[in-house]
Amino acid sequence: MSDSNAKSLAPTDWPLFEVFIRSKQGLDHKHVGSLHASDAEHAIALARDVYTRRQEGVSIWVVPSKAITASDPALKNENFDPMASKIYRHPTFYDIPEEIGHM
Amino acid sequence: MYTQAIDTDPTLRTSAASDDGAAEDAFLARIADDEKIEPQDWMPEAYRKTLVRQISQHAHSEVVGMLPEGGWITRAPSLKRKEILLAKVQDEGGHGLYLYAAAETLGVSREQLIDALHSGKAKYSSIFNYETKTWADIGTIGWLVDGAAIMNQVPLCRCSYGPYARAMIRICKEESFHQRQGFDIVRALCEGTPEQKAMAQESLNRWWWPTLMMFGPHDSDSTHTGQASAYGIKRISNDELRQKFVDVTVAQAEFLGLSIPDPALRWNPARGHYDFGKIDWDEFWRVVNGQGPCNEARMNDRISAFEEGRWVRDAASAHAAKHAARAVARAGALEAA
Amino acid sequence: MSALPSQSLLLIADSCLVWGHRLSEWCGHGPQLEEDIALTNTALDVIGQARLLYQLYSSRAGNGLTEDKLAYFRGPDAFQNVAIAAVENGDYAQTVLRSLILSAWFVPLWRALAVGRDPELAAIAVEAEKAARVQRRHASDWTIRFGDGTAESRRRIEHAISTLAPWVPALLATEIDGTDRAHRENEWRAFVAEVMAEATLAAFPVNANGDHHAFEANAKQALSALLHEMQSLAREHPEAVW
Ligand SMILES: [Fe+2]
Ligand SMILES: [Fe+2]
Repeated sequence: MSDSNAKSLAPTDWPLFEVFIRSKQGLDHKHVGSLHASDAEHAIALARDVYTRRQEGVSIWVVPSKAITASDPALKNENFDPMASKIYRHPTFYDIPEEIGHM
Repeated sequence: MYTQAIDTDPTLRTSAASDDGAAEDAFLARIADDEKIEPQDWMPEAYRKTLVRQISQHAHSEVVGMLPEGGWITRAPSLKRKEILLAKVQDEGGHGLYLYAAAETLGVSREQLIDALHSGKAKYSSIFNYETKTWADIGTIGWLVDGAAIMNQVPLCRCSYGPYARAMIRICKEESFHQRQGFDIVRALCEGTPEQKAMAQESLNRWWWPTLMMFGPHDSDSTHTGQASAYGIKRISNDELRQKFVDVTVAQAEFLGLSIPDPALRWNPARGHYDFGKIDWDEFWRVVNGQGPCNEARMNDRISAFEEGRWVRDAASAHAAKHAARAVARAGALEAA
Repeated sequence: MSALPSQSLLLIADSCLVWGHRLSEWCGHGPQLEEDIALTNTALDVIGQARLLYQLYSSRAGNGLTEDKLAYFRGPDAFQNVAIAAVENGDYAQTVLRSLILSAWFVPLWRALAVGRDPELAAIAVEAEKAARVQRRHASDWTIRFGDGTAESRRRIEHAISTLAPWVPALLATEIDGTDRAHRENEWRAFVAEVMAEATLAAFPVNANGDHHAFEANAKQALSALLHEMQSLAREHPEAVW
């Protein structure tokens, strides 16, 4: 038996999952933490016990932690700073005459 | 404290002299600006090590901390108390879990951390090596030990490492009932029969000094405080926290009609604080280094739970693998058809 | 309104308390942190149900027997619990199998009581059924993992089945007023059969023959030991309020 084979048969630690919870009907799911579980369904069941003990949620998502791709923190400035100059995207950029009222 | 800053690692203090001088300066500037450091960000090795040590020590304390109180779940004297205690001890398990997860973002696995605990390499709070002899101890732990923990943990909600700070916010939210339920137990005892009141006093007598030790060595003797505060991991010093704890607790004990077992305890108007007696640091180090009343029992409990749970974890992994393989086979068969 | 006879009320309450107590013994000693928390949730659910039922019993009996008097100051002979609830935990396989057996029994029971003619009990049963469903799912998931997991887990769950099976006939034969016992039994059998099949285990041996009296005595002994521990402090201070 090859070495890699032996490894794949050996029991492993439960993988890590990221947990997202919708706290109220109508809101987005929000990242709340992570946990270990043997598979995704197990992770859902455990997330309910670990992260909603105080009725924190009405819906749960779990994602294997290794499935997440993150933006490069070293590119933070070049990625996000250029957005700062586009002030015309914000409603406060425009003056609306008082007579017009709310727009 | 739960993060007593007790073990020393000489490599930590040499880090400032690392090659990455410019990167480190930029990093310290971010911390000075109260920016949060996230897992993917560059960080000095000493920062990472300090965090792993502190967060895992904290996690171990939460999990080992389930044991002294857990022993009274089956003997809680009323159903209400039984429910509350069960929920409280369960919460501590959750705290351990959140903290292990925070430590895992730094590139260590939970298995490695648990291994360090079981092999005696990692420390946990000395307080959990004391025995819970009476029901009053359950009240005293909630009132004093959780009270002291909260005092330490609230500033950690603002610590520089994002995952740790977020875990602490969740933990602090949950902690708020722990101290109250403890105080409520002690209060019921103090308002109860003379035997109950005596039980409360006797318990306070045993737990007072170990609780003060929880805050860790004096600032003058604490090797980590300087580094940890430069890194924004520790915001308030051991002695400041300890003083704050004494100051608020004296009034609570007075309300309960209990006396704090320290003849040197008195209000110092000049300082605006209570003066208190000398802590027996020999006892502290004995307990930290393994010679407390229950160190061995606590570790045996943790190790046997872990070892006896191994076949359970393995079974779940094996089933998950088979289940996934079957799903793949089914999908393959569908495609072929 | 037509109240459930107090005897049945006590039977359900005592079963919940004794079982919840057993589950609570795991707190801090579970096989994995996540699982420790999950199992404790089930303990909290059933202990909570016991309290509500005792309170209901107490308000109706009007004899000053509070929930704590009922829990802490009755001896093993006065407890009405189904015998299997008191059996020791054993290993994790035995613990989850008992949870499967009991939750599969409780789900149809709560459902029947939820639409029964005792409105106060029905209000408790509506919530209890939801919790029992979660518990049944938790227990069946683990039974399946053990049956279909490793050789060791399979050996352990099979051992748990042979250990606990003798208590099942008495459980299924338990009459609760206002509910259709045979109907509840059928649901139990169907559910457990499905779990056993998915776990690749042999059919659950309900008709175990064995020394029934020995099993009863065994359960009584386990209950006595459990109560001895649970009631020790409360009985030391009979006048105390906690
Ligand atoms: Fe905690
Ligand atoms: Fe706590």
